[in-house]
Amino acid sequence: MADKGNDPAVIWQTMIGEMEKGFNSFANQAMASPEFSKMMNQVGGVSAGAQKQLGELMEKYLLAMNLPSRAQLVGMAERLQAIEGQLNEIKALLHQVHHNSLAPESGYGTPRPPRTKRPPAEGEQK
Amino acid sequence: MNAPAGLDLASISERVQSEVQRAIQRSIKGVEYFSTSGPSLGSTPKDILAARGTMNLYHYRPMADEIYRVPILIVMATTNRGYILDMVPGQSFIEFLLKRGYDVYMLDWSAPKPEEKSLRMEDYVLDFIPDCVRRVQQDSGEQDVTVIGYCFGGVLSLLYGSIFHDGPMKNLICFTTPIDFREMKLFQNFSDRRYFDVDRLVDSVGNVPPEMILSSFEMLRPASRTVSQVQLWENIWNDEFVKSYRMFDRWATDTLPLAGEYFRDITKNLMWDNKLFNGNMSVGGRAADISRIKVPILHAVAEHDHIVPYDAAKHLIAKVGSTDKEEVILKGGHVSLVAGANAIKRLWPRLDSWLGKRST
Repeated sequence: MADKGNDPAVIWQTMIGEMEKGFNSFANQAMASPEFSKMMNQVGGVSAGAQKQLGELMEKYLLAMNLPSRAQLVGMAERLQAIEGQLNEIKALLHQVHHNSLAPESGYGTPRPPRTKRPPAEGEQK
Repeated sequence: MNAPAGLDLASISERVQSEVQRAIQRSIKGVEYFSTSGPSLGSTPKDILAARGTMNLYHYRPMADEIYRVPILIVMATTNRGYILDMVPGQSFIEFLLKRGYDVYMLDWSAPKPEEKSLRMEDYVLDFIPDCVRRVQQDSGEQDVTVIGYCFGGVLSLLYGSIFHDGPMKNLICFTTPIDFREMKLFQNFSDRRYFDVDRLVDSVGNVPPEMILSSFEMLRPASRTVSQVQLWENIWNDEFVKSYRMFDRWATDTLPLAGEYFRDITKNLMWDNKLFNGNMSVGGRAADISRIKVPILHAVAEHDHIVPYDAAKHLIAKVGSTDKEEVILKGGHVSLVAGANAIKRLWPRLDSWLGKRST
């Protein structure tokens, strides 16, 4: 095999890794300045305000068009997920009940393991 | 003509052949990548014990024939989803704990809804966590509970433990938990009180949007996302690499919004006034001094953590009042400490040997 120093793939990966480190470190230095904080927060403040106004405007527009907003769709998706979760729970319970009805002597509910475990002695394989 | 020293023509030809094969594989797998959805995450069987607004309490079904007496409650960070600790079978911290005989519960968060913008720090520390602890006690039939907090979940666990220092917390484990917020240099600069108007932000947006949280994390290493995409393309022929990339990328971008008032509390009390470190933190009018914590505590920190640098986490062990206390510094970063191949080799076995003898 060619030694790693001559392997173009290794040279490329090393170069990318070094560029990443260099750029991150340069950017971190720049971002540590008070000027950066001031600029970032000015831009962030304006954009947060604008985002809120735009959001409210869109909400009104969608309401007027009788269309659901993104927040409503997200809310709906979350409710669907919750329903799915509950269905899974019901499914698991049904499985459990079915399983128990096949073996009635074990009674209802899956028994939990006893809380008697002790840590293995030092050096013992787990 | 002879090849230059160090170059072997046969191996160059093999290399070219393998690169051509990889290029072909990249095209095939690239199409596959965009047409499939990636592995299913967080699939260890569990029951939902409680779901109330942003709070979700899960109980994972035991996998061992015999379990330790003391159950574990994992408190997840409020910015991210709990499935980082339950990626896929074989790479799941939860599964590891279950197989080692622990009874595991998790307090996980869902996105706070707009009407939950008024949730404050006290809702998390004096309501959600104690409520989950009570439910764990009830469900397990045990009074003692071990609490494990990841990142900001660790901060919440410390606050809980310092207020409820008489119990029922039996052991506390923190992963990469900051207490000296001055040392989170870039976050400090982003939230410089001279320029960052937290009141204006919270009053205008309500809950802090997840995009903002995600960009502030990504700004800590601005080149890394692009580089990771280049690496994905280079390794797209490698199924294991792609699977791992997809899992971590999905988790990292699945950031949660933060309740507005809670964010205001964090910014003012922790980022600006560093109250947890200074010992004058209070939550809902109750003093939360971590020197009151007396239970056995383990703090695991990562050597190359760019989110919670070691300097921000290192004073935790010195400041708690426990006599049985230990800090472990492990190789890795903020996420690889707890999940992925390194965690399987390093953190998980270490935690098991520490916790097993304190769980009977």
